[in-house]
Amino acid sequence: MSNAILSSRALAKSYLSGDRCIEVLRGVDLEVAAGESVSIRGESGSGKSTLLNLLSGLDTADRGALAWADGPALADRRAEFLGMVFQAFYLIPEIDAFQNVLMAARILRAPGAAERARAKELLARVGLAERATHLPAQLSGGERQRVAVARALMNSPKLLLADEPTGNLDEHTGDAVIALLLDLCRETGTALVLVTHNVAHAQKTNRQLFLREGKLSHG
Amino acid sequence: MPWYLYLALKQLFPTGRRFPFFTAISVLGVALGVAVLVISTSVMGGFGHKIREMTVDTQGDVQVRGDGLIETPAEVQAQLAKIPGVIATTPFAEGPVAIMHAQKPQFPALQGIDVTRVSQVIPLARYVHPAGALAELDDDSIILGSQLALALGARVGSKVEVASPLAYEKFKRDEIFLPRELRVVGYFEFGHQALDTSVALVTLRAMQDLYGLGGGVHGLNVKLAPGLDPDAMTARINAALPPAARLHARSWLDLNQDFLFVLQFERNIMFFLLMFIVVVAAFSVTSSLLISVVRKTREIGLLGALGGKPRQVAACFCFQGFFIGVAGTAVGLALGFGVLHVRDDIVEIFTKLTQSEAAMLRFYQFRHLPSYTDPNYLVAIVIGTIGISTLAGLLPAWRAAKLKPVEALRSE
Repeated sequence: MSNAILSSRALAKSYLSGDRCIEVLRGVDLEVAAGESVSIRGESGSGKSTLLNLLSGLDTADRGALAWADGPALADRRAEFLGMVFQAFYLIPEIDAFQNVLMAARILRAPGAAERARAKELLARVGLAERATHLPAQLSGGERQRVAVARALMNSPKLLLADEPTGNLDEHTGDAVIALLLDLCRETGTALVLVTHNVAHAQKTNRQLFLREGKLSHG
Repeated sequence: MPWYLYLALKQLFPTGRRFPFFTAISVLGVALGVAVLVISTSVMGGFGHKIREMTVDTQGDVQVRGDGLIETPAEVQAQLAKIPGVIATTPFAEGPVAIMHAQKPQFPALQGIDVTRVSQVIPLARYVHPAGALAELDDDSIILGSQLALALGARVGSKVEVASPLAYEKFKRDEIFLPRELRVVGYFEFGHQALDTSVALVTLRAMQDLYGLGGGVHGLNVKLAPGLDPDAMTARINAALPPAARLHARSWLDLNQDFLFVLQFERNIMFFLLMFIVVVAAFSVTSSLLISVVRKTREIGLLGALGGKPRQVAACFCFQGFFIGVAGTAVGLALGFGVLHVRDDIVEIFTKLTQSEAAMLRFYQFRHLPSYTDPNYLVAIVIGTIGISTLAGLLPAWRAAKLKPVEALRSE
C-alpha cells in the first residue's frame, strides 16, 4: 500500500505473568491508508489494547517495526500525528469541555485565536456547542465521549486510534458516537483504527480485522 | 501560559467548582506558619524598635563621656558643633540620690539636664505631664518618673527632700549637708517600667550642687542629623575630639550592644524555630500532592498520551507546591498583619482573663505591645515559605514524572 500512513511489520509483544511469559502479539502486520477506517475485533484479553498501545507509540514492541506516514513512530511526533479516544473518556475534571478540547493543542503550543476557534468548531460539530462551559461532571457519558472525540481531532491528526470508545455507553448512545466518529474521519480525511467488540460498529468501517492468537486476520 | 502551569492552577483552584478541600487545608497550613512568623518577628522587632526609640529619646544618638568629669563642657560642645552631622548637644550630670516624701524613701537615679538645650537633643517634653512642666523646671524643682511619684505618694506641688552621697562625704568631715527640698512640677512617663520607676529630673545646676561638681558635667548627649549611621558618626566624633581631653563617644547601639545582641539573637532563634511550622505544613502539602498523583494516575497517563513530556508533568505538580506557597504566604501575611493590628485588644483580653495585667507591665516594661516588621525578615519569610512549598512538590512531581503513560492509563 503506497499511501499507508501506518505500517507495522511483525510486531510482537509478550508479558511476564509470574514465572510465565505470555506472548500477546506474535507478529502483527498492519497497514492503514490515509482516510481508511479499520476495525479490530477480538476476544477479551486477545491483545487489542496492547496492539493499539504499540501503534500509538505509548508502548514499545519486543520485535518488529512500526512507521507513521513517512517517518518513524516517535513519542515527540505523537501529538501531531495521531489522536486517541479511550473507553473511559479520560477528561480532566477541573476544566470545562472547551478547555478539555483545547488541552490537546495547549500541550503542543500556547493556543491562539485559531486554536480556540477550532475547538469551538469541533464542539459544535459533535453537537456540544451549548455545553462548552460545562464541566465533565455535568455531562452525560455520551457527551463526555463526544468531547473526547473532539479533543482527539483537535490537532488535525492523520490517524485516530479508538479503543472500545462505546464500551461505557448504552447501545443507542454508542451507535451515535460511532456514527459521529466515522463521519468526522470521513470529512477530515483522518484514518481510523477502531478496536471494538461490537460487530455492527465494526461492519461500518472499510476493513474488518480480527485479532486471534496474537495475529491479525480478516474478520 | 504553558499547559502544566495552567493545569496546576486549575487543579488547585478550579473554576465553577467548590474550592478543593485539600487546597484549602494546604494553604491554611502554610498561612498559619507565615502568620505566626510575621507576628512573632514583628513583636520581637517591636521590642527592639521601642528600645531604640526610648534609648535615643533619653540618651540621644551618641553620648560623649570623659575618664572623669568634663570640667569645661562649653568647650567640648563647641568642638562637637563643628563636626558635620552633629546638629545639637546637651550636657548632663547623673547619679543616685535618696528622695523622701511623707516618710517614704526611694533611691532613684537623678539626671541633671540643661533645660534650655535638652529639647534640641531629647524630646523630653513629649513625655512630661502636665504640658509645659519642663519649662517650669528650675533649680528648686524636680520632675519625677510617674511610677516613682506613685511610690513616693507625691503629686504636682508636693515637696520632696533629696539627699546625695555628698552628704556622706561631708559627714565624714564633721560637716552637715542638709537634704535639698524640691517642689514637684510634673512627672514623666516613657511607658518603660524601669525608667518610670527609678529616674527623676532636675536642672543641671541643681544636680551640680547636689553632687558638688562645680561647673563640671558627666557627659554630653549628641543629636545627629536624620539618617546618619550612629556608629560611623561616633567614629568621626572620636577622631575629631582632642586625645588630651580623654573624651570618648559611644553610640546608642554601642551603649546597649549586649541587650540588642540578646534581642537579635532571640529573634533569629525564634525565626529559625518557627520556620519549622512552615516545614511541617510543607509535609502536609507533599502528602496531599502525593495523594493527588495517585488519584490522577490515569489523567497523568492521558497527558503523556496527548504529548506531555515527563518533565512537564513534573512541573505541573511542582508548580502546585509553588502556588500553595504563594497563596499560603498571601493569606498568612494578611492574617499576621490583621492580628498585629488588634494585638493590644488581644493582649488586653488575655491579661484580663488571666488577671496578669500587673505582671505583664512588670516583666515586659511596655504598656502597649510594640510591633515593628523588619522588611528583611519579611522578605526571608516570603522567599523561605514559597521555596519550602515548592520543594514540597518535588517528591510528588518525581512520582508523577516516573509514571509511564501506558501503565498509568491501564491503572485501576
